[in-house]
Amino acid sequence: MSDRTLTLQVNGRPYTLEVPSGQTLLETLRESLELVGVRDSCGIGMCGTCTVLVDGRAISSCLTLTAQVENKHITTIEGLSQDGQLHPVQQAYIDHGAFQCAYCTPGFILSTVALLGENANPDDAAIREYLAGNLCRCGSYVNILNAVRACRTIDD
Amino acid sequence: MSFELLQPDSLPGALKALAQHGDEAKVLAGGTAIVLMLQQKLIAPTVLVSVGRIPDLAYIRSEPDGIHVGPLTTLRDMERSLVIQTHFPLLAQASGEVGNIRVRNQATLGGNLAEADYASDPPTALLALGTQVTATSLRGERTIPLEDFLIGFYTTDLEPDELITDVFIPASAPGSRTTYLKYRSRSSEDRPCACVAAIAAFEAETCTDLRVAVGAASEVPQRLPAVENLARGQALTDELIGEIAAGYADNIDTLEDIRGSAWYRTQMIRIHVVRALEELRNGRR
Ligand SMILES: Cc1cc2nc3c(=O)[nH]c(=O)nc-3n(C[C@H](O)[C@H](O)[C@H](O)COP(=O)(O)OP(=O)(O)OC[C@H]3O[C@@H](n4cnc5c(N)ncnc54)[C@H](O)[C@@H]3O)c2cc1C
Ligand code: FES
Ligand code: FES
Repeated sequence: MSDRTLTLQVNGRPYTLEVPSGQTLLETLRESLELVGVRDSCGIGMCGTCTVLVDGRAISSCLTLTAQVENKHITTIEGLSQDGQLHPVQQAYIDHGAFQCAYCTPGFILSTVALLGENANPDDAAIREYLAGNLCRCGSYVNILNAVRACRTIDD
Repeated sequence: MSFELLQPDSLPGALKALAQHGDEAKVLAGGTAIVLMLQQKLIAPTVLVSVGRIPDLAYIRSEPDGIHVGPLTTLRDMERSLVIQTHFPLLAQASGEVGNIRVRNQATLGGNLAEADYASDPPTALLALGTQVTATSLRGERTIPLEDFLIGFYTTDLEPDELITDVFIPASAPGSRTTYLKYRSRSSEDRPCACVAAIAAFEAETCTDLRVAVGAASEVPQRLPAVENLARGQALTDELIGEIAAGYADNIDTLEDIRGSAWYRTQMIRIHVVRALEELRNGRR
């Protein structure tokens, strides 16, 4: 398999790496960059544990070749906190106990950040619709919904 | 997985690569179907031609006679487009019903049509709308009506050296009412077990034109003009709606898979054609 040298912009930093042409973004982030908050589960775009943001949009890194996102801005869960301060969405998930095992949490938090980027005041239906593609096997959905509600600019 | 990845940055460059590598090459657009198949070792191309760097293939362009949608337009951009929401609401609906947000952010219209997976949403809406697909190769350009483009199970009329370069959707008659109904038999983000796209024009209570496409229940989405014509010049009474629904249920050779048996799909076609036509008659646009 032919390797190629690529530059990736991850969490605001450039990385130049050798990547096999068939490598997925999920594999590159975990194995080459050791960003293990990106998680592998279904591998078919269904569960959302591998969610990352590409130019602010949520995608499945398991269905993306690394070469497809060269020079785009990639955000993983590791890139959300600033100066040692958790991102408000991260803090809301903690405050609402919105996880049990937390395997799904990075994906949920990144999807929530993308949702709020598009719509600062989603109603419950919009939240449910947006997050329907992220699965939580521990069933923390009620607390997740509460955490996202608390992030709206108008909290009720 | 051993293949060469080409990322041409112009349309001629991509067409040249396809002409050169022909059958051994696969096109990569959003990757939601291709990367999955590569990962599962269902395909083993020697060359992958990515179209992602070709400029100007993602667009939604409004013209007096309809809209042109570029093959690299994502399903999410179609779902959120004001032009599509206003003039082709059933297409915005069908695009917005696909999988989950992440898939729609990545998946392109060209990839969705070229994949020709029977369990899809956009093709059924596009068939009802009378869509035309433009395919381009170094040999030239041709325009193919969608019903001739989709020819069977994961099979299209595209030649290995051709790319979809435009999708044209003609404007519907002013005042047309439309709907798209997706029936899922498993989870909320599932592909359809059956789906119905319907467009009708009315003069007072009289239906002057009806187009109904049924998808995901057979190898390719289908319109049955002889059945559609039953509605022409008639009021859509419960009885007539039942007759049209029976026409679709009885004349589509349904398939069986994990989403439902052939018998079950026939019943779901009947029920969803009834619901779609009731919705149109009762005035939803
Ligand atoms: C989890 C999940 C759920 C899904 N749910 C649904 C659903 O509910 N409804 C639905 O309709 N679909 C669903 N899909 C399918 C999805 O819509 C398609 O995989 C997607 O549209 C393909 O587009 P792509 O750009 O990702 O194509 P790619 O994977 O890049 O390519 C797909 C095929 O198209 C060819 N191709 C791509 N672009 C062109 C072009 N311009 N010219 C010629 N050939 C081209 C490629 O060679 C390949 O054969 C789902 C997919 C996933 C992963
Ligand atoms: S691992 Fe990518 S969506 Fe499940
Ligand atoms: S907290 Fe365990 S999967 Fe969500």
